Amino acid sequence: MHIPDGFLDAKTAATAGALAVGGLALALRQVRIRLPRRRVPLMGLAAAFVFAAQMLNFPVAGGTSGHLVGGVLAAVLLGPSAAVVVMSAVLIVQCFLFADGGVLALGANIFNMAIVGVIIGYGIYRTVRRLFAGLRGLVMASAFAAWCSTVLAAISCTGQLASSGTVAWSVAFPAMANIHMLIGLGEALITALVVVGIARARPELVEEGAPPQRYGEFAAFGLLVALGLALLVAPQASSFPDGLEKVAATLGFEHKAAAAPLVAAPLGDYQMPGVKSATWATAWAGAIGTVVVFALAWLLARSLTPKSKDDAPAPRG
Amino acid sequence: MTPALELQNLCFRYPDGTEALCGVSFAIGEGECVGLIGPNGAGKSTLMLHLNGILPERLNGAPSVFVSGRPLTTENLAAVRRDVGLLFQEPDDQLFCPTVFEDVAFGPQQFGLGGDALAARVSDALARAGIRGYEKRQPHHLSHGQKRRVCLAGVLACEPRVLVLDEPTSDLDPRGKRELKAVLRQIPATQLIATHDLELVVELCPRVIVMDEGRVVADGPTVTLLSDEALMLAHGLEKPHSLQHQHPHGSRHA
Amino acid sequence: MRLDLLDRHSRLDSPVHRQPAAAKLFVAVASVLTTVLLPVSKPAGFAIVAAVLLIVAALSRIPPVFLAKRLLLLEPIALGVAGLAVFQPDGWRVFAVVMVRTNLCLLTMILLSNTTPFAGLLSVLQRLRVPSLLVTTLALMYRYLFVLMDEVGRMSRARASRAFSVRRGTAWWSQAGIVGQLFIRSTERAERIYAAMCARGWQ
Repeated sequence: MHIPDGFLDAKTAATAGALAVGGLALALRQVRIRLPRRRVPLMGLAAAFVFAAQMLNFPVAGGTSGHLVGGVLAAVLLGPSAAVVVMSAVLIVQCFLFADGGVLALGANIFNMAIVGVIIGYGIYRTVRRLFAGLRGLVMASAFAAWCSTVLAAISCTGQLASSGTVAWSVAFPAMANIHMLIGLGEALITALVVVGIARARPELVEEGAPPQRYGEFAAFGLLVALGLALLVAPQASSFPDGLEKVAATLGFEHKAAAAPLVAAPLGDYQMPGVKSATWATAWAGAIGTVVVFALAWLLARSLTPKSKDDAPAPRG
Repeated sequence: MTPALELQNLCFRYPDGTEALCGVSFAIGEGECVGLIGPNGAGKSTLMLHLNGILPERLNGAPSVFVSGRPLTTENLAAVRRDVGLLFQEPDDQLFCPTVFEDVAFGPQQFGLGGDALAARVSDALARAGIRGYEKRQPHHLSHGQKRRVCLAGVLACEPRVLVLDEPTSDLDPRGKRELKAVLRQIPATQLIATHDLELVVELCPRVIVMDEGRVVADGPTVTLLSDEALMLAHGLEKPHSLQHQHPHGSRHA
Repeated sequence: MRLDLLDRHSRLDSPVHRQPAAAKLFVAVASVLTTVLLPVSKPAGFAIVAAVLLIVAALSRIPPVFLAKRLLLLEPIALGVAGLAVFQPDGWRVFAVVMVRTNLCLLTMILLSNTTPFAGLLSVLQRLRVPSLLVTTLALMYRYLFVLMDEVGRMSRARASRAFSVRRGTAWWSQAGIVGQLFIRSTERAERIYAAMCARGWQ
C-alpha cells in the first residue's frame, strides 16, 4: 500500500503531509512524556522488529505469499503512540533506503499506515477487549482490529489517489477495498497467531499497551484521523467530489497547487462500462464482511485458546 | 593504599526471589589484573552489573561497592561510571551507533568532550584497541572480532580507572584471542576479567577469584588455585592444559 | 536477498558520493518535486530531468545493472496502482504520465540511497531539529535491522532443519512463532542496550 511518487497531486500530498506531521508530532510528544527512559532503545528495536517481521513469507497459494504489516500488532504490544512512531520510522526507512513509497507521498503513507491503521485499529481493539476478557478476548480483539485496520488504511489510500485525479473513485474503491478485505484476513490471522505466542510466553509484554490514561490524548488522534478522512476520502465517496477543490479555491492556492490536472472533470459519477454501482456493492460487502470477520475472529480465538486456558490467569485489558 | 575496587558483603536477589549473589567481598588494588572464574550461573555477569550501578535498579541502603574508596550511591553514579568501564559479552548490544566514530565518541561525549579533543580521543582509543582508522566504518559490516575491538575502544575512550570485562575472548578465533590478549596486556588500568577461558587467566592474571552459586569460594594466586584439581572440578571448572605439567606461564608482571 | 540491495554502494568513491548529505537530499527532493509538478503539456521537461538523472548515475559509478534491477523490483507496485488509473476517461494517457513520473522519482531516490550513507541522512535530520526521539529510533532501527534479519535467518534455518513436511497450516504457525520470538528477543536486547548506554554515562 506504499504510494509511490507521481501518483498524488500537490494538494493531496501536502494535506496528507500536514496531517502526518501533526499526528507524528502528537505521538512523539506522548511517548516522550510517558515512556520510561529504559524503554527508549525499545522504540528503535521495535521498528527494526516490524521491518524484519514484514519480510517473512506466509505462503498462500502457488508462489504467492502474504506478509505482515504489523500496525495493530505494534499497537497491542507497545501502545498506540509508540506504535505510531515505530510504524512511521519503518515507513521513513523504507522510503529513503528502498524507495518503497515516494518521498513526497511519505506523508500520505504515514497517515494511512502509521496513523489511520494504528489508531483506528487500536481503538477497535480496546473496544472489543472491553467486551471480551481473557486471552480469548485478546486474540479476538487483535484479529478483528487488524482486519479493520487493513481495510480502513486502504480506503484512506484510495481516497488520496482519487482526490489526486489519478484514479476514479468508483473504480478504485471497489478494487482496493475488496482486495484489502481479503488481505486483511491474512493480517488478522498472523496478528492473532503472533499475539497468542507472545501472550503465552511472556504475558507481561502484551500488557505494555496499557489503556491511555487520558482519553483526551486519544481523542486528539481520533480528530486528526477524522479530519484526514473527511478531507480526502469523504468528498470522493459523496456527491461532491470536488469538495477539496472548493476548499483549495477558497484558500486561494488551487491555481498553484496542481500542475494541469490530469483529468478536468470530476470523476465521482464515472461508471466503468458494464459494472453498475460497484461502489455500493463493495460497501455492502464491507458491511457484511465486518460482521463475518468479527465472527471469524471469535472462532479463531476459540480455536487458539482451548477451554482449559480460560480458567488460568490471563491478561486483562 | 585505597583499593581501586572493593566489594563489601554484596548481596542481590532477583525480583522473583532467587538469590544471585550472597556476601561477595573482595578488594582489588590499583593496577592489578584479576580473573573471575566459575561455572555458568555462578553470578559473574550479575556481579559485573553491580560494579557500575546498573544493578540493583534502585540503590538504597548501605553501599556495598566502593570505587577508589568512593561508595557507589545514586549521587556518585555518574562519577563511578566514568571510573568503571564495563565491556559486555555481546558486542552487538554495546555497538549501537551508526558508525564506529559515533560509537566510540558516545562515552566521552556524555562526559562533555567535543570538537578536536573528541576526535583525538576517539582515534587514540581506536589505535589502542588495534583498529586504527576504522572511524567511518559501519558496525554491520564488521566481523565479530572487529566489533569486539570497537566496543573495547568505546570503553577505553572513557578513560576508566577500572576495566571490567565479561567474556572478552568468547567467539574469537585463535588469532583474535592472541590479538586481544596483546591489547589487554598494554592497558595499565586495573582489570577484572570474567571468563571461561582459563588459559587467558593464566596468561594475564596473577590473581584469580573463583565464584560458585553467588559466593566467592576462593581468592588467591592463579597458578596455585588453578593447579588445585579438586577445587577446579568441585566448581565446574578444570585444570587448564598449560598447568597440566606444572609449568607456570608468564604472567602480566613477569 | 532484498537486504543485499540495501545501500550496498553507498560506500563507493565518486564525485557524487563525496557531496555532503544535506546537498544530495535537497537536490533529490527538489528533483522529485519538479518531476511531480511538471506540466504534462511540456514533455521536454521530463526528458531534461531524465537526462540529469542519467548523468548523475554515470558520475556515481554505481553499476547500471544494479540500478536497473532496483528499478525493476519496484515496478510491480507502480504498475499495480497505475493499472487502476486506466479505467477512466483518457485513462491510458494518465497511465503513461504516471509511469513516467514515478520512474523518474524512483530513480532519484535509488541514486540518493546509494550515494549517501544513512548516518549522513540522520545527521541532516538532526540539524533540521527533528525530535531526538525520532532520530534515535531511526538510528537504532537502522543499526539493528541487519542484526534482527540475521536472527530471523537463523531461526528460520533451525526451523527448516526440523521440518519434515511443509503443510501450509504449520508454516503459518511456526512463522508466527518466529515473529513472536523475535519480538521477545528484541525487548531483551533493548534492555541490554539500555544497560550499555548507561554504562557509558548516557544522560
